[in-house]
Amino acid sequence: MYSWRKIREKLFTFTIILLSLLAIAPIIHMIIVVSINGIVTFVKAGTSFFTGLPPTPLSQEIGGIAPSIIGTLLMTAISLPITITLAIFAAILATEFPKNPISVAIDAIAKSLASIPTIAVSMIVYTVVVVPMKGFSALAGALALTIVALPYAYTYFSTALRSVPAVYREAALSVAMSRWGTVIRVLIPIARNGIAIGVLMTMARIMGETAALLFTAGRFRNRVSITPSKPVDAVPLLIFDYILSPYDIWHQVAWGATAFLLLAYIAIFFAVKLIVKEVKL
Amino acid sequence: MMTRKDKLFFISLLPLSSSLLTILVLSIATVALKSLDSLQTFGLNLLISSTWNPERGVYGFLAPLIGSVTTSILAVITALFLSLPLTIIIAEYLRGIVKNVVSSIVELMGGMPTIIYAVWASQYLVPFLKEFIMEPLHNVFKFIPLFSCRPITGFSIFASGISIGISIVPYVTAIILEAHQSIPLAYREACYGIGATRYESIKIMLSLARPAIVAALILGFARSLGETTIAAVTVGNSMYLSSCLFAPGYTVSALIASQFANAHLYPYAESVLYASILFVMMISIALSFYGSSTIIRWRSRIVV
Repeated sequence: MYSWRKIREKLFTFTIILLSLLAIAPIIHMIIVVSINGIVTFVKAGTSFFTGLPPTPLSQEIGGIAPSIIGTLLMTAISLPITITLAIFAAILATEFPKNPISVAIDAIAKSLASIPTIAVSMIVYTVVVVPMKGFSALAGALALTIVALPYAYTYFSTALRSVPAVYREAALSVAMSRWGTVIRVLIPIARNGIAIGVLMTMARIMGETAALLFTAGRFRNRVSITPSKPVDAVPLLIFDYILSPYDIWHQVAWGATAFLLLAYIAIFFAVKLIVKEVKL
Repeated sequence: MMTRKDKLFFISLLPLSSSLLTILVLSIATVALKSLDSLQTFGLNLLISSTWNPERGVYGFLAPLIGSVTTSILAVITALFLSLPLTIIIAEYLRGIVKNVVSSIVELMGGMPTIIYAVWASQYLVPFLKEFIMEPLHNVFKFIPLFSCRPITGFSIFASGISIGISIVPYVTAIILEAHQSIPLAYREACYGIGATRYESIKIMLSLARPAIVAALILGFARSLGETTIAAVTVGNSMYLSSCLFAPGYTVSALIASQFANAHLYPYAESVLYASILFVMMISIALSFYGSSTIIRWRSRIVV
């Protein structure tokens, strides 16, 4: 008949399935409610949601989040190339000279940088850049984003470069290619999928970061600004300010902005998944 | 020995690579220098009092510090209860396309901007927790100090801990899953070879992976300590130090998020906030190193 072992087995399986469903439930619920609330806002506001200015608290029109979108794009455009360049150099150094003390140190440094709270990064950039420059700016925001994203990008790139089998490096060197030639013409092309994934995930990280921008970017949303030395806004900042405000109209704008951010993130995520699939073939 | 060409290659990489070191040194120096002022003026008072009155120049961040630690402990407990089953189901039960879908969902959760968690938590999770968890707990266990106060808005240390916990589930899951996969197949074969059931085999696998699981939780703790966005919108922002989890509180990062912008108006305020983040930063960096070195040591022992 049923022994205790068999009953225990069934109970265990049941508990595991239940708790796993509970672990997955938040994200499913999150995607559903953000989409529903976001679509309501999109429908009410129409295309002007992407071109208009945020509403005043008592206005009837939802308006738009153009200053925030442009600000996020501007800071991403400044920060991403810098982050990628610095991270790829560090990753090449760490993978090409794995035994060198400097490479070992870089690994540890990246780990320490990743564990600095992002709000601390915001304070540091405020003190080092914003105060001397006498004002918030897209540049300061981009710098804070770079500091936050750098260790992530480094981890992605060094993992990608390390995954290249040693025989390729040996083959390239044995036909008298230079070290730089080997890296640029052999290693990076072979690791290109991993590197592309790293670039995309770093971009997602930069676009979605909130805390690092709190005291750097300036939350300037009265009009669209594309001057790097002037204050700007960012989509996450707008959401952060509006979602806890007492005004219903700002809540609606925040939901629309959240849905927009989620959509952008999911698009990046699927691009990453497509690249991963290509590796398998 | 490096050849001359190797050396040139090495040196050509050095300037940009060392930017990481420059950033780290500059960051730590800034935080340390900025906090020096208040540490000298207030000393230990910062750590043992929780009066926050910039107008009178009296500061103490005991309450937010305890808030940070409490929310992180709650977050880690939440993450443990959700990550462990998730790891087991991905590694031991699911196969083929379902496994791919579930692990993709976990990855999707992992990279999700925290502001989206924050929005969802403040609008849906907090009211849900208030109605279905906090109020029942309060009604039944009123005599326990932790549950002794009636949840008024729901925004509290408890809500913040659970919200942050949900956001670190994918991170903790990924670390435990990686550890689980590095246990050699021979152990599992041995388990089934002596007629163990799946439950018994999983129990043995988990006991093998215990140091790695503990390390994953420590890393999760370090990450929750610095979490700002979710904490700031769920914790309720109150300087009042309470033994009750359902009362609104503060975490260090939430305190900074709400106070730092105006801190330059008051003497010492900025420096005190720097001092508070200095503590969090030191704990966070130390725990990250401890956690990741534990995992590396564990892996080198388990892989035969």
